[in-house]
Amino acid sequence: MIPVSWYLGLAALLFCLGLYGALTKRNTVIVLICIELMLNATNINLVAFSKLGLYPDIAGQVFTVFSITVAAAEVAVGIAILLAFYRNRRTVNIDEANVLKR
Amino acid sequence: MDLETLLSYPWRIMLPEFVIVITAALLSLLDLFWKEQASRRPLAWIALAGIGLAVLFLVINAGQPVQEILYETFRLDGFASAFKLIFLLGAAIVFLIALDRDFGQQLPYQGEYYYLILTAVLGAMIAASSADLITLFVGIELLSISSYVLVAIRKHNLKANESALKYVISGGIATAVTLFGFSYIYGLTGSTNLFVIQERLSQGVNDGLLPLIALALLVSFVGLTFKLSVVPYHMWAPDVYQGASTPVTAFLSVVSKGAGFALVIRFLMVTLQGMADSEMILWENLAGLLVTVLSVLAALSMIIGNTLAMRQTNLKRLLAYSSIAQAGYLLVPVAAGIALLQTGEVSASNLFHIVLFYLAAYLFMNLGAFALVQLIGKETEDIRGLAGLYRRAPGKALAMTLFLASLAGIPLTAGFVGKYYILMGAVGANLYALAAVMVITTVISYYYYFGLAVQMYMREPEVDQPLTAPSSLNIVLSVCVIGTLLLGLLPNLALDLIQTQFNLLEVFLPYSH
Repeated sequence: MIPVSWYLGLAALLFCLGLYGALTKRNTVIVLICIELMLNATNINLVAFSKLGLYPDIAGQVFTVFSITVAAAEVAVGIAILLAFYRNRRTVNIDEANVLKR
Repeated sequence: MDLETLLSYPWRIMLPEFVIVITAALLSLLDLFWKEQASRRPLAWIALAGIGLAVLFLVINAGQPVQEILYETFRLDGFASAFKLIFLLGAAIVFLIALDRDFGQQLPYQGEYYYLILTAVLGAMIAASSADLITLFVGIELLSISSYVLVAIRKHNLKANESALKYVISGGIATAVTLFGFSYIYGLTGSTNLFVIQERLSQGVNDGLLPLIALALLVSFVGLTFKLSVVPYHMWAPDVYQGASTPVTAFLSVVSKGAGFALVIRFLMVTLQGMADSEMILWENLAGLLVTVLSVLAALSMIIGNTLAMRQTNLKRLLAYSSIAQAGYLLVPVAAGIALLQTGEVSASNLFHIVLFYLAAYLFMNLGAFALVQLIGKETEDIRGLAGLYRRAPGKALAMTLFLASLAGIPLTAGFVGKYYILMGAVGANLYALAAVMVITTVISYYYYFGLAVQMYMREPEVDQPLTAPSSLNIVLSVCVIGTLLLGLLPNLALDLIQTQFNLLEVFLPYSH
């Protein structure tokens, strides 16, 4: 059986990749995908803990279902806002969102 | 499960939430069948009536003993009721600001605007009274997602688009960080219930898992600072406050922030309370670490908020930086609470009452200031818009002076009393350095608050016409003036009222069947 640390390592790696991408990428679509990557890393954590944690228990899988649902809602709103922005600015680059004073 | 068992649960403890859900659903249906071109203002009155009914049920429920339903995820205690009262009051004032007729005419999707505020308040209420990580997360996300749409609702306005985009991206990252921390807490305890987590965390410390526990708690807390808009997650605030319409900004600065504090206090205090009974050196390390981190973040928020506010020329941006500083002040009692948790003195202290008192004071002074921003914002949002306000509308200039004095913390106002209590709390927990930073940054903040007062009294107005406000804004201004003065002149009355009506320490009380 694969030990729990492998799952945690994978999740931590995914999370860091997502965080790096979300903070450095210019294209907002990629940024939103990177946020999804971070959320999926937590889902891997939750499911792994639910099976192999200190106190194995079903609650982790329930939590995952909630987190997937909420993430879907959040990205739907994110894409809608991005579309509204694109219609006004004709760009999806986050660093061109600079109308507001710095 | 048959109907009889279903009905045997004490659903009445959720009545305020039910009222808000039903009102929001009713508004969305009415909005659908409303005449296309007709004004949606009556919907706002229905929403206000719904909020009034929810407050009524909340007050009826307030005196009851601690109860939990829905697999012990939803919890009724004095702590939750007190915060929910603040949220509902804040939402009602925001509705009154939004009732301003000119504002309604420029606003597309007026109906959506009203019921999204209600769903956001619902999220805040659920988050404040959840005893479980899952409901806590769902509540805060309901609040966040509703706020994203509220900021973006003026979709042809480039500034609004941009601020909503920044808000949704930084919010998404914060959500992911919080959840990552939660997933480790779940992994270490095998439960999402806060009281089970409390029990198993103390076992975990015995088993030598302290570094992991500290990491999990810190990561979750860093994600949650997004809602509080304190360092390290404060950079969204100025952009979002500037781009959103003024009533939404007012909502974010009071209700959303208040929900963040309810959440952080419940989450940190309940999970860490296990250490109150143990005298282990390891717990002391953990508590010491958390107190240090919270104190540094609070100090940085006060310094950054107050110094950057001095350079702002846009009124809403200035109030955004001021709100970062105010959140820093509010974080001080939380740090003091953790410091006292260690010695077990927290149940004897009134730190939570202080947070609630300052939040109530902040509600009145900040919403009052935003009501005035809404009024002058029709001409310009620059601070020069305040020029000569005393000549154009003396009453409103005096009211604004009171709000600014209270935000700055001048004696005889609510803000001063709140800050005094916070300082005493910090000194009582031996956080002398933090208290010193607070005093110094308060003095710095006088500079920009008085800069605004100078504009109102000493500068010549650009348009020399009397400024008249719609009646809804006048009501908001009078309510806020009365609230600020009452809390400032008779603070003991308010504190006694909080102490007798809401037992905030019930937050620690585990539920027994």
